[in-house]
This record gives sequence, structure tokens and C-alpha cells, in this order.
Amino acid sequence: MMKQIALYGKGGIGKSTTSANLSAALSLQGLDIMQIGCDPKRDSTRMLMHGTFIPTVMDLVRVRGEAALSLPDIVYTGFNSVRCVEAGGPEPGVGCAGRGIIATFQLLEKFGALRGDVIVYDVLGDVVCGGFAMPMREGYAQDIYLVTSGELMSLYAANNICKAIKRLSSRTKSTCRLAGVICNAKNQPNEEELVAEFARRVNSTLVQYIPRDRVVQLAELNRKTVLEYDPDSAQAAQYRSLAARIMKNTRFTIPNPLEIDDLESLALEFI
Amino acid sequence: MTSNPLPLNLSRFGGCTLTGALSVTTQVRDSVTIVHGPKGCTHHNFSLLHSTMFDNDRVAIPDLISTGLSESDIIFGGEGALERTLDAVTKRDIGAIFVLSTCIVDTIGDDVAAVCRRDRGVPVLPVPSGGFLGGTFQNGVNNALNAIADTAEPCIKGWCVNIIGEKNLEYEVEENYAEVTRLLTALGIPVNLRFVRDCPMIDITRLGAARLNILRDDDLRTVGERLHQRFVTPFIPSFPVGLAGTISFLESVADSFGVNYLQAVSEEKVLQEDLLTEFNDITGTSITFDPALTDSDTFKLACEVADRIGITIDRDGCRVPLEVSPPVGTAGVRRMLHRWRRAIHA
Repeated sequence: MMKQIALYGKGGIGKSTTSANLSAALSLQGLDIMQIGCDPKRDSTRMLMHGTFIPTVMDLVRVRGEAALSLPDIVYTGFNSVRCVEAGGPEPGVGCAGRGIIATFQLLEKFGALRGDVIVYDVLGDVVCGGFAMPMREGYAQDIYLVTSGELMSLYAANNICKAIKRLSSRTKSTCRLAGVICNAKNQPNEEELVAEFARRVNSTLVQYIPRDRVVQLAELNRKTVLEYDPDSAQAAQYRSLAARIMKNTRFTIPNPLEIDDLESLALEFI
Repeated sequence: MTSNPLPLNLSRFGGCTLTGALSVTTQVRDSVTIVHGPKGCTHHNFSLLHSTMFDNDRVAIPDLISTGLSESDIIFGGEGALERTLDAVTKRDIGAIFVLSTCIVDTIGDDVAAVCRRDRGVPVLPVPSGGFLGGTFQNGVNNALNAIADTAEPCIKGWCVNIIGEKNLEYEVEENYAEVTRLLTALGIPVNLRFVRDCPMIDITRLGAARLNILRDDDLRTVGERLHQRFVTPFIPSFPVGLAGTISFLESVADSFGVNYLQAVSEEKVLQEDLLTEFNDITGTSITFDPALTDSDTFKLACEVADRIGITIDRDGCRVPLEVSPPVGTAGVRRMLHRWRRAIHA
């Protein structure tokens, strides 16, 4: 059965890096993987595509029109046959990026593009409008992973996403659940413990602690995922572990978001 | 924000802001109105305006153009579509272009005012009309009147009045105007400008020339105040309504112009007495009003007329229709009494 997972988290926290390395690791397990970047800044799949910014669905719709498009125009094959799609969106400051995500999903549905063993949705930093909740709606990602560090603002964003998941999961026929928290560490003291405790309090679990490692930057400068650039590194092992745990994960919950005061006192406990 | 779904609130205090704005802008004869939004917003308003004008014996095609936004315009922003439409429209020989926003462009944040600011050799007037922002039909009317008023400059005042904000979509719009001019003529005061009903853009330059503005009703008060600020023109907040209201209207207008109203008032009172005599066949009957469509002003004025003519208001009385707006002038009361008589004798 096809697994659809979505990674949400604060902007700049490392969702795209985590997503790309996760997709690479999953593909190395022999699985058929598709990664869909759902952020107008369109850089989700860049490392899988060896540094290339692939044309986005929205750019293609704008330039050629929807009627002229076919599946090969929007899906690009990257590292180890991972299929890559970028939703794209309007220029910053105009239009409606959320609607762009909805339109992209409708087009992918139309083309029957949503297939394979695992689809990884890499979503914009925060669920600012209904469009960015699209990957969590019925028929798309059932398993939502929150990517966060131990920084308060990052936990705050993750907590906000919990609110969206809670609301969506209460709908009839909804299959969207919180599947876990991924700590993409800033190497702060007690960071793993803090994020693990945050995960517990929102009724979830810490799935993987990924320490900060210079190899990530080196891989990116070489336009590759860590899995491709240095498969023997400790960091590559972390991503492989994440991939294995995600495939085995059976704990899917309706989250219990924290009040801001509780979130702040939690952060204070781990200073 | 309108949250009360009673029929009373389905008139001007609900409704579509865009339709309200269009009811004004389409009355500027040599103008084009661009509706910045999806095609449907233009289509249903076009049908409504066309059929209403037809009902009022005006065979006119409202000059509306849609920017025809599609999903991709919403995603990437609709400003480009507006620019293109403006480019096409400015090639025509017209006095003004109105640009009316719709709910969706206000949602995605198109900067309509900025696009309109570019010099195109013809006035391009943006009118905010996104209804979901708590707006009503009346907000659309007021926004459009204000936008048009801003194009006029203060000028020397003459011996005349302006008529402000006629309800262009009401069935009796011409009858009501005729009644107001009848009363003004009795005082020797002409109308300078119907702001805005069937006039070319050039006429708007005369807006500041009136010594007094007469608002169609009190819901235009903010427009009246703005015109007062800009042109130092005082205003009367409503057309004359009911019998006593018609007399006090004559007095107020006369006071503004410093003219004697005694003769005009006395003639009007005779006319009103004659009217009541003409309808004495329904004296002594009892009536009740349809409460669903009765606003408090209309109800109050209907009670006044019933009292003057000797009709009892009783829950078990004959049901008589009441218009949404109170009757304008003595002539409006006459039409109302005709409707009552038909119901009573039915």
C-alpha cells in the first residue's frame, strides 16, 4: 500500500534537507519514491536533482497553460530514480500561493501522478491558509511529521501545526494523523530531551534525533544529498535510520497542542 | 458586519457591495466599469442592471467589462489582467473608467489602487467593492459616490441643489425624483445635479456648485458629511417622507436658502387634505401590515397616514402591503394609499 507522508515545520529548520535525504534513503531501500515540494521557493528537490531547479508546475501552467501539459513536463527523475515535483507558486507578495498548492494537487491527480511506494510532501514552513493544509486532506498524506529544533520559535511553529492536524483529523473520514516529531538539531544543550518531551506532551513521539553535522553543508555545496555525497558518514546513517523508522512506524495520533505558556515553561525546564 | 438574516436586513444592509457600487457607476453615461474578478461577478450584475433599467423604461446596455480572472490569475495575482483590461478600455473615447474590486481580488491582495494610479489620460477611479470585508450594498453605493465626488473641485455656488444618491435600482426612482423637484419648484429652487443618475462625467465638475445637498436617505450620511467637508455644502439627510415629513422638508430647504416657505407649505397642506378626502372611502377600516418587510421608518409613516385618514391598525385587520422604503412626498403617500385601497376592496 502506498504511503504518503508530509513534513511540516518552521521555515529554515531543514525540512527540505531532511525530506531530500529521507527520499534518498527510502529509495536506497529499493522503494519507488516521489517527492513533492509544496513551497513557492521551489528548492525542495534541488539536491536530489544535483543542483538543478526543476520547472515548477505553476510556472508551466502560467507559461504553457494547463491544457498543454502532460506528466513528463512536471515530473523529473533525480537521484536513484526518485521522482521529483515542485509545485512552485507566485512571485513573493502577489497572488495566492495556497491556491497554487491546491491547483498543483488537482493537476497531479488528473495525471495520475500520485503513485509509488512512498510520496514525501515537503510543505511550507507554516500552515498559513487552507491551501497549505491541502497535503493533509483526505486522500493525500496520512502521516504528518513535524520537523523542529529545540529553539522555542521552531517548537512554536510545530505546535501550531499540531492545531491544524487536530482540526483536520477531527473531520469525518479524515485519515490525517500526527506520526511523529523529527529533531533537526541545532546542537543546543538538552535539545534531544526537550524535543522528546515536547513530542510526548503533544501526544506523539520523537522519531529521530538528527545532530547537526558539517557534512550536510558539504553535501549541499556539492549539490548532492548526504546519502549520495557521503553514504558512509554518520549523518547518512541517521537518515537511513529515519527512513527505517518511518516505514515501521505504527503510532499515529491526534495531537494535543500546548498553550503558549506551557510551551514556554517546557523550554525553560531544559535550559 | 451583517449577521441578522431577517428579511429586513436583506435589502441594503446585506446584499452585494459590488452591486451597490455598480448601481452608481453605471449611471455615469460616458464611462466604462471594469469589474476586477471572475466573469460571473459581472454577468449576474449585468443581468440585474439591464432588467432593472428595462423595468424603469430605459433600454440601455450597462457598459461593464470583466477582467475575467481564472484560477491562474488568482494564484499569480490579478494585477496583470487588470492592466491588460485597462489598456484595452483606454483606447475607447470615454470620460472615466471605474475599477471595482471583487471579493476574490481583495482576498489575494491585488493592489487595485496602485494599478489605477498610472496616468492613462482618462480618470481611472478605483472603488473598493469586496463584500466579504463586512460590506453591504449600501457600502458599495457610498464608496462609488465618494470615488466620483473626489474628481470634482470646489467651485462657485449657485442658487440650486444637488440630489445625492438616488436609489437607481428602485422601481419608483423617477417618480420620487419628480416629487422632489415638484416641491423644490414650489420654492423656486432648481436642481443642479443628480449625483449620480444618468449624467456624463463632465457634469460631475458641477458637484460643488450647489448650495444644498439633498440625500436620498440617511444611510448616505457619511457621503453627505464628506461632501460637506470638501465643498462646504450642507445637507438634508433624506428625501421628504410621509405627510408631516413633506412639510418639514419644505421648511428645511427654504431655511437653507433663506426663502419664505409659507405659501408653499400652505399649498402642500391643501394638497394633502385633498388627498385624504379622495381616499375617505377607506376611512373607518382596519388594516395590518406585513411585518416581514416593514422597517421602522416605513411603519411609523404608515401609522401617521392611517391616523390622519382614520384607519385603525389592528392585527386582525386587512393585510396591506408596505414598500421597503417609506413613501416619498405627498405623491408617495398617494401611491401607498392606492395600494391600501386595492387590498381593502379586494
